[in-house]
Amino acid sequence: MNLHEFSDWLSNTPFSQAIQITSWAIPSIQVVHIICLAALFATALMFSLRIAGRGLANEALHVQAPRFARAILVLTVFLLVSGTLLITAEPGRTITNPSFYAKMIMLAIALAITLWLTSVSRRQLESPRGVHVAAAMFVMLLWVGIIFCGRFIAYVESY
Amino acid sequence: MSSSWTEWLQNTPLAVTISEDWFPWVESAHVVFLALVAGTIFLVDTRLLGLTSRNLRFTYLSDRLLPWTWGAFIGATITGTLMFTAGAAIYTSNAPFLIKMGLLVLAGINMLYFQFVTFRSVAQWDNGRPIPAARAAGAISLVLWCLVIGFGRWIGFV
Repeated sequence: MNLHEFSDWLSNTPFSQAIQITSWAIPSIQVVHIICLAALFATALMFSLRIAGRGLANEALHVQAPRFARAILVLTVFLLVSGTLLITAEPGRTITNPSFYAKMIMLAIALAITLWLTSVSRRQLESPRGVHVAAAMFVMLLWVGIIFCGRFIAYVESY
Repeated sequence: MSSSWTEWLQNTPLAVTISEDWFPWVESAHVVFLALVAGTIFLVDTRLLGLTSRNLRFTYLSDRLLPWTWGAFIGATITGTLMFTAGAAIYTSNAPFLIKMGLLVLAGINMLYFQFVTFRSVAQWDNGRPIPAARAAGAISLVLWCLVIGFGRWIGFV
């Protein structure tokens, strides 16, 4: 089964059909997706600023880092669930869309760097090092790129 | 009369360029800014409700978050205005757009009441659980901003 066949099969499943014929379902799921991404983006910014020794810097980083990471991961789960529902509803729009794959690759890198920064923060890093600050800023660029690619799924042609 | 200025606006060279070439870029930038606006507001609201950052003083948190909120709000307003110009005649009769603008006004009133009335006693609740009026302001803000996002997304579906 190739991706196009999978996409056709998925869009003909009863669950996908149920979402498709409910006119308010897709916008509602998108709204939940955007609300969660807003919370994640602001939390990720606070974590990145904290790594650079700015923002909410009143506590030791090794105490704060796991809290930031937990919030980011919980929100990521909400985003994966709502995102999976959106794919299920419109597989032809996403599964064969280059913008969707660019988004997923950036997401994997952003999560990997976030986990790495969390584990480094737990062990040391009370005074920020250049490489960690650079990685924290790079993660923010990735989140911006992820948001752009997410919106561009609506504009880039599926192959 | 009302239709003539919107039609003039969406026929300006800038508006035509946006609607023909730039719309996806402006719209994506709008999502980045709105994520920062709403996300930082959510962190302040949930602190007011006593759900997050309970170990931080309220003023410590809000002093560090709200500059980002305002900076991003300027960005969201600029990108939002650019998107509006691209389809001004349609948006002025688009119900979700008009409801969204109304909700933004309500969010502003809630913020002003909080700032000039509830916030005056902040010294008493800065450390612990905020007073009921402050919790109410947080809850109202949280609901209003979720609705702003909801109706904002709905603009494109009608």
